[in-house]
Amino acid sequence: MANNVSEVANTTTSTASGESIKLLSVRGITKSFGTNAVLKQIDLDLDGGEVLALIGGNGAGKSTLMKIIMGIYQPDDGKIYVNGCLTHLNKASVALSAGIYMVPQEPMLFPNMTIEENITMGFQEHKQQLRMRLKSVMQEIGWKFDLNRKASTLSIAEQTLVEIIRGLLRNAKILILDEPTSALTFDEVESFFRIVKELRQKGIGIIYITHRLSEVFDIATHVSIMRDGIITLHGPVSDFNHEMLVQGLLPPGSVQKNKLFEQTTSIDYENTQPVFELQNVSGHGFNNISLKVFPGEILGVAGVVGAGRTELVSTIFGRDKILHGRVLLNGKDITGYSTKKVLQAGINYVPEDRHNHGLFKISSITANTTSALLEDRRLGKLFLKPKVEQAITQEFVDGFRIKIAGQDQLAGSLSGGNQQKVVIGRSLSTKPKIVILDEPTRGIDAAARRDVYGIIRGLREQGVAILIISSDMEEIIELADRAVTVSQGSINAEFWKKDITQDNLTASSFGLHVKGEAHAQ
Amino acid sequence: MKLIKRFLKIRWLSSLAFLAVMFIITGLVNPGFFTYSNIIECFNSSVVFTLLAVGVAFVIMTGEIDVSIGSTMGLAAAIAGMLAQRGQSWGLMIVYSIVIGLLIGLVNGYGVAVLGVPSLIFTLGTTGIIRGLVYVFSGGKTTENFAGTFTNFGSQTLFGQITIYYTIVLVIVIVTHLLLTQTRSGKYFIAVGDNVGGATLIGIPVTATKIVAYVLCGIFAAISGVAFASKYGQVNIVAGAGYEMSAIAACVLGGISLSGGQGNLAGAAIGAVIMSTISRLLVFIGLSSDFDNTIKGVMLISIVVIDALMQRRSAETARRERLVARASGSAR
Repeated sequence: MANNVSEVANTTTSTASGESIKLLSVRGITKSFGTNAVLKQIDLDLDGGEVLALIGGNGAGKSTLMKIIMGIYQPDDGKIYVNGCLTHLNKASVALSAGIYMVPQEPMLFPNMTIEENITMGFQEHKQQLRMRLKSVMQEIGWKFDLNRKASTLSIAEQTLVEIIRGLLRNAKILILDEPTSALTFDEVESFFRIVKELRQKGIGIIYITHRLSEVFDIATHVSIMRDGIITLHGPVSDFNHEMLVQGLLPPGSVQKNKLFEQTTSIDYENTQPVFELQNVSGHGFNNISLKVFPGEILGVAGVVGAGRTELVSTIFGRDKILHGRVLLNGKDITGYSTKKVLQAGINYVPEDRHNHGLFKISSITANTTSALLEDRRLGKLFLKPKVEQAITQEFVDGFRIKIAGQDQLAGSLSGGNQQKVVIGRSLSTKPKIVILDEPTRGIDAAARRDVYGIIRGLREQGVAILIISSDMEEIIELADRAVTVSQGSINAEFWKKDITQDNLTASSFGLHVKGEAHAQ
Repeated sequence: MKLIKRFLKIRWLSSLAFLAVMFIITGLVNPGFFTYSNIIECFNSSVVFTLLAVGVAFVIMTGEIDVSIGSTMGLAAAIAGMLAQRGQSWGLMIVYSIVIGLLIGLVNGYGVAVLGVPSLIFTLGTTGIIRGLVYVFSGGKTTENFAGTFTNFGSQTLFGQITIYYTIVLVIVIVTHLLLTQTRSGKYFIAVGDNVGGATLIGIPVTATKIVAYVLCGIFAAISGVAFASKYGQVNIVAGAGYEMSAIAACVLGGISLSGGQGNLAGAAIGAVIMSTISRLLVFIGLSSDFDNTIKGVMLISIVVIDALMQRRSAETARRERLVARASGSAR
C-alpha cells in the first residue's frame, strides 16, 4: 500500500497542475484471474473535458480495467479516487451514483422495452419529473427520438446514442465508451464525434476505448496504451504521432526487421496456378475480399479480433451466405457450397475456438481423429473397422508427437497443445488441398507451439496451401510467406515475406496504411 | 393484415381472442354450452391454475423456470388438509402456506441465482424433495375427511355466480399486475429477463431480483394448495403432479416468453383459464377428457416453437445488421 503515494507523484509529472484534484484517479490497480495476471499496477488519470483514448491489443486488459471502474469486478489491490475521494466500487450501482457510466461495446439495451423505459429504468425518481429531465437532456444535445419505439427496432448507432442519453440522465461525469464506433458506418461516426466533442465541452470526462489509431488523433485529448496489463505510454495526444503509438503497442525489444530469413519461398508466383482464390467476396461482416493462396504457400491473415476474419472463413466454409463474389478451388467455382461439399472439395478449417467448434471432448482420440473420415470407404462400408481407425490415428499421433496415454483417452483430458494437434490431425486426415487455421496456437504452451509450427511447415513442404489467421503478429512473421491484414472487414494491405514485420502488421491491423504495401502479381 | 399484426403484438389480447374462439367453437358444436353459468364456471374453476401461473410468471419473466410448483402446491394442500382436520382456521393455513412457499422459494432462488445451477435441473431436484415431504407428512395416505366450513367457503358465490375464490384471485391478479407494470422495482423482473448484462450495468440487483421471483412463485404455489384442498375436500399424495406443465403452458399461451423479458400477468391469468377449461370443453364437444394432457402438451410445444423461431430470426437479423455495419465502416 505504501508505494501508492510515490506513484501518484510519478504519474502527474507530465502536467504542470499535478496537485489539482482529478475527476478520476486510478492507482496501483492489480487484478488476476487464477494465475493469470491481467492488470499489473495500473495508474490512470482523467479530468473533466478530457477524452482519454485507451488503446491496446486483444487481451491487454482494457475491458477488465473498465469493469473494475464500473464496479463489476473487484480489484485484488489498488485504489480508485473519484473527485479526490477514495471510492470503494463494489457494485455497479455504486459506480453509477459516483457519476460513472459505461456504454459497452455491444449496447446492452432491453430489446423488448421502449426507448423511454430503457432510459428511465432503474431510477428512483418520479415518472413525471424524470420525463421532464429526459426531454431537457435530449433538447440540450439536440437529438430526436420517438420514445415509444421498441429498442429492438433501433440500429446499432441509435442504440449507442440511447445508451449515452441514459448516462447523461444519470448526470454521469465520467463516460466510458467501449469501441463505440466499431459498429457504426462512416456517416454515423462523424456525427458521433460531434457528440463526443459537445460532451467534452460540457466538462464530462470520457474514456474512449478504440482499435483504430486514426480515431485517437481525430477525437482524443490524451492517450494511454495498454499492453499485457501495464500502461506503456501515456500523455497528451499532441506529444505523439502514429509511429510512436505503434511502438507503444509492440512488445519491448521487438525486432524491427524480420530475423527468420533462412526460409525463403521457392514459389514461382508467375507460373503457378493458385489453389484457392477469392474474387471480390462479400458477406456478413466483410466486404470485397480478394486473395489467392498458392500450393506450398503459407498466407498469413492478420488483424484485430472483430475485423471480420473469422466471419470470412466460416462463411467460405459454408456456415453463412456469400453475398457477392466467387470462391475458386483449383479454378473450380465452389461459391455457396454447403460445409459438407466444401470439405469434400478439399478445404479444411481448424476453428478458432477448439472447445466449442473443434474438439469432441468426451470422445476418444481415435474417434476425434477419424470423425472427418466417416464417409471414407477405407473405414468400412457399414460397420467401422477399428484397426484402420487406429492405424490412421497412430500415424498422426506419431507424426505430430501427440502425448497421449492411449488412443482411447478422452480428447478433453489432453493438454491444450495436444488437443490442438488432434484437431489439426483430424482436418489433415481428409487430405485437403488447403487448410485454414484460425488462431492455431491460442492458449497453448511454447513447446506445443513449436510442434504445431513444425506440423504447419511440414504441410507446406507437401505442397498443401495454408491460410493462417492470427492476432499474434509474431506467429505470422514466423510462418507466413505472404501476409494480408484485414481491418474493418476489408483487406487493407498485403506484404511479401521481407516486409512482414511487427511494425507493418500492427500499423495496418489498426487501420493505418503503411509504405511497405505490396501487391500480388 | 396490418391490424392483425398489431393485434398479435399485444400478446395477451391474442390469447383472450383465442379463449373466445375456443368458446365459440364449443358453442357451435354443442349449443348447450352457451349458458351464463357454463361460461362463468370456466373462470371459477381456474382458481388453482391462475395462482400457479401468476406465480411462475415472475420466474419465467426473469428468464428462468420453476418446475417445483406442482409439488409445492401438493405439500401446501396436504398441510392445509391436516390443519382442517384439526379444525384450525383458514388464516393459519394461509400463514403456513406462505412460510412453506417462502422457504421453497428461497432454496430455489439460492440454487439458481447464487449457485448458478441451471434452473430446470435445480427445481427438478427440489420437486423430488418436496414430493418426498408430502409422503412423509401425510404418511403416504390421502388426506381427507376435512369437509365443513373450509370446503364450503370456496363454493360460495359473491355476485353473478362468481365465487369468493375467483373474486379474491381476480383482485390478487390485478394488484400484482399493477405492481409489476407500474412500479420501478416491478420492472426489474422483466429487465433481468430481457438483458441480464444490461440490467447489471445500470445497477439492478440481478441476484436479489431472481430470488424474489422464486419466493413469490413459491408463495403463490403454496396458496394455490390451500385453494386446491378447499375445492376438492381431499388431498391425494400426488396432488399437483403435472400442474407445473399446465401453469407454464398457461404463461406461454398468455404471451410470456420462455426466454424471459416479455409478457405480463394478465396474460398468465387468461392462459390459466384456457388451460383449466380445455377438459371441460372437450366434454361439451363430446370427446373424452383423456385428451386433456395431450392437447395441453401440443399447445405448449407449438407456441414455444413458434416463439423460438421468431426470436432466432430477429436475433439473426440483428447480428447481420451489426456485421454489415462494421464492415461498411471501412468505406472511409
